[in-house]
Amino acid sequence: MQATSNLLNYILWTPFIGLIGVLLIPKAKENMVRYWALINTAITLILTLVLYSKFDTSVAGMQEAFNIKMPWISSFNIFYSLGIDGISLPMIVLTGLLFFICVLSSWTVTKQIKAYFALYLFLQTSVFGVFLSLDFFLFYVFWEVMLIPMFFLIGIWGGENREYAAIKFFLYTFFGSILMLVGMVALYYKMGAGIDSFNILAMHGGKFAGETLEIFGMTFSFAKLFFVFLFIGFAIKVPVFPFHTWLPHAHVQAPTAVSVILAGVLLKMGTYGFLRIAFPIFPGASVHFSDAIAWLGLINVIYGAFCAMAQTDVKKLVAYSSVSHMGFVMLGLAAMTTTGVNGAVLQMFNHGTSTAMMFLLIGILYERSHHRWIVRPDGSKGFGGLYTQLPRYSIVFIIAMFASMGLPGLSGFISEALIFLGIYERFTTITVLALLGLLLGAAYLLWMFKRMFFGDVIEECKNYTDMNAREIAYMIPLCVAVIVFGIYPAPVLNVMRASVGNLVEMLSKF
Amino acid sequence: MGLNYLASLSHYVPELLACLTMFGLILIEATYKEEKKDRGLLFLAAYIGLVSVTVFSIFNLGKPPIAIFTNSIIIDSFSSLSKIIMCLGTLGAVYLTSQSDDIEGNLKPEFTIMASGVLVGGMLLASANNMLVLFIGIETLSILSYVLASLKKNDERSSEAGLKYALYGGITSGIMLFGMSHIFGVLGTINFTEIAAALKGLTDAQVFIVLPSFLLFLVGIGYKIACVPFHMWAPDVYEGSPIPVTTFFSIVPKVAGLAALVRISTTFFADPGVLNVGWVGTLSIIAALTMTVGNISAIGQQSVKRMLAYSSISHAGVMILGILVISDIGTRSVLFYSITYLFMTLAAFYIVSFVNDKYGNDHFERFNGLIYRYPTMAIMMSILMFSLAGIPPLSGFVAKFHIFNALILEKYYTLAVIAGLNSVISLYYYLKIVRLMTLKPSESDEEIKGFSYVNQGVVVLLTVPVVALGLFWEKILMVADGAKVFIQ
Repeated sequence: MQATSNLLNYILWTPFIGLIGVLLIPKAKENMVRYWALINTAITLILTLVLYSKFDTSVAGMQEAFNIKMPWISSFNIFYSLGIDGISLPMIVLTGLLFFICVLSSWTVTKQIKAYFALYLFLQTSVFGVFLSLDFFLFYVFWEVMLIPMFFLIGIWGGENREYAAIKFFLYTFFGSILMLVGMVALYYKMGAGIDSFNILAMHGGKFAGETLEIFGMTFSFAKLFFVFLFIGFAIKVPVFPFHTWLPHAHVQAPTAVSVILAGVLLKMGTYGFLRIAFPIFPGASVHFSDAIAWLGLINVIYGAFCAMAQTDVKKLVAYSSVSHMGFVMLGLAAMTTTGVNGAVLQMFNHGTSTAMMFLLIGILYERSHHRWIVRPDGSKGFGGLYTQLPRYSIVFIIAMFASMGLPGLSGFISEALIFLGIYERFTTITVLALLGLLLGAAYLLWMFKRMFFGDVIEECKNYTDMNAREIAYMIPLCVAVIVFGIYPAPVLNVMRASVGNLVEMLSKF
Repeated sequence: MGLNYLASLSHYVPELLACLTMFGLILIEATYKEEKKDRGLLFLAAYIGLVSVTVFSIFNLGKPPIAIFTNSIIIDSFSSLSKIIMCLGTLGAVYLTSQSDDIEGNLKPEFTIMASGVLVGGMLLASANNMLVLFIGIETLSILSYVLASLKKNDERSSEAGLKYALYGGITSGIMLFGMSHIFGVLGTINFTEIAAALKGLTDAQVFIVLPSFLLFLVGIGYKIACVPFHMWAPDVYEGSPIPVTTFFSIVPKVAGLAALVRISTTFFADPGVLNVGWVGTLSIIAALTMTVGNISAIGQQSVKRMLAYSSISHAGVMILGILVISDIGTRSVLFYSITYLFMTLAAFYIVSFVNDKYGNDHFERFNGLIYRYPTMAIMMSILMFSLAGIPPLSGFVAKFHIFNALILEKYYTLAVIAGLNSVISLYYYLKIVRLMTLKPSESDEEIKGFSYVNQGVVVLLTVPVVALGLFWEKILMVADGAKVFIQ
């Protein structure tokens, strides 16, 4: 009992201790910093797996054994309150895994290594904080703190247009969070400013259905207004159309590891926010707006796919494919059926692994070619015949691509199938249109593959070396995850089933 | 009701000490020979004087509120806390003066003396319970400020700043007196307590005169806070004055004006009615405009000092939001905001000042790549900028959170959203400096003399509360919460 009761604390603060360690290591010992970060993230990953093994899949709510609750600011009833359930657990494991892998992929970073890993570990703590917090204030603090390391990671280690990307990312997200802050304080007072007033779980269940408020003499429904506020806050993170414009810049400019984290984990914070905060707190309003959410999700799917198709920069292509895939998650959420939401959470996890693979692979290629053009601006080919040049790389790329496309037998298929099954009952038109998105997904990915991997080997591709042992080492866990969860998704589905069921049941009452 | 004069004096120790400091400094300055540059003793005396004012104000903090000098001055914990903030601000500005090259050596004592004088005016303003005392406070504060603004005697911009400040100041004082005379004409008293009592039974015709009079009255205070539309003087004065003076102006007169505004709002306009609606409505518009205009003007600035000056206008707007809700929670949030604002502004201006001393200007490019030369300073500056923008877990966020809290409790949702959008705008220009410091290569490797270990230590010391108050703010909140405005 004693060992598990502090487990969430260990998970949350191990990276932070790692951060302090990084700062203490002398600047000259660059490899020591790398190994320290690797060991640190490895420990964190092991801790998340321990958490997974001790997780009780039959409990729908928060797992009592792991809950941590300590007063932080008593006069405002703000608690340091952590907890885990079936929705956050897959995200926690995903975070642990991706941060570990990305340390390996960051091995080639040479600029300001100390600062890089310090910020990197700082980012990890804040991401864990978002997924573990059960106190709205604490959640908000972690949600915002995350922007600081991201800003520097994109801004210092990014591509040529990094400053613009970093600032755009920061401002967009900050704009969303400010609306969330207003919503949070309003909820605090609607809850009576009492002991549970920042407690996310206590707010659940549609307590604010009948409340109204007046602005300039017009009466608004409290739930609907603040649902929209929270929605915008989270939608910017997902990103939902039309709030997605920061994403291509941030993804393309960020260094490989940060793109992976951004696409793999950070986007999921947005959808996690819907599942943990916006939907359960305002179930009535979310059902009311579910049509709109579904349509926005559909726009994401189709628009993201078309944008991806038009790209000549392969990283930008994958970035837009994230927009498209996160649209599927939104569709699954909007379905508000058990199958749909299960599919959405599974898609959050699967997209995390498959898109991480894509970004890592592009990073590997970039280290050899120093450009990412499928077609250069002057019309000549950027890559050609990679398949004969880099056989190992190509195999991994094919796995990643098919997983991302949703080919049966790989992970993307299961989650997308579940989403479609879930949403068909409610939105038939949207389902049919969204299937078009799948088709487009296959089209842009295969077209990209054809242009880069087939055809004649162009001159500069001839001296590329294939993946080295380190690169293979960090791709293996992701390949395994993509294949295993494609055939046997039960390890992920089982942990989330009870919690998702609970949420859907609550939503079905409205 | 009131104590007699002698008994009153014992409650009036901080103000007396501040006066004493000022006179003591004049005497010490007179003993220096012309050619003697080092004025160690003078600064030592100033520190001792200001610290003792702070200490005695802290003693007053716990005492029950009391009206002294026949009810024309109120010593309550609210005014004491405001005084502590002003005093620390003065202390910070004086230390900066001793380190800065922006003020010539022989002018440093003059600044120190006049800053103590402004402090006396500010303290009077925070405690005033009588229109005349309030007016004396404002004038003490203003007249010395005019001189401070034109401290660089041979500099055209500085003289222009002083003249502008004086002209605008004279006009607003006149308008304020005009308003006061109408209030006196209708209500027959200048004492706040009696005015508050008289306001309860006004006829419609009287309200028709009294409300505009109060708005005229507001002009004088608004001028000191530099809120829109009375802010025209601020950028020029901030630009033309030496940096320590700018630092001083963006803290002490603002806090003093805000304190007076809090007292007036809570004493006169707490009861619902026409007066309340008019006053709160006016303040809402002023606050929204102040935040927005301050922020938008700050975006285009070339000089960091000017950027900080404009941003201080917008911070004043945010603090007015805490005032217009007219509640204990609002007052508390204003005080908390002032405390964090004090530390953030001081530390940020310190860094700007040291950079300015080195290069002769403080344009944004001077900060390029600071992190590669002075990593500690660059990190502190980043923390300060994030805090000013209101990113958790820094104290600037907590301060904004309290303002939001006060607004939303009283259901001012629109204002809360406007304030929120403004912090997004402000983030843009605060990030600009963080971006230049960390993302750009360094311009030169020259040493910046001002960043001595002692000065770096001082900046770190000032930044510690910015972080600490963001994480553990309960104690300070309790202090701010205890500092209630005394209403008889």
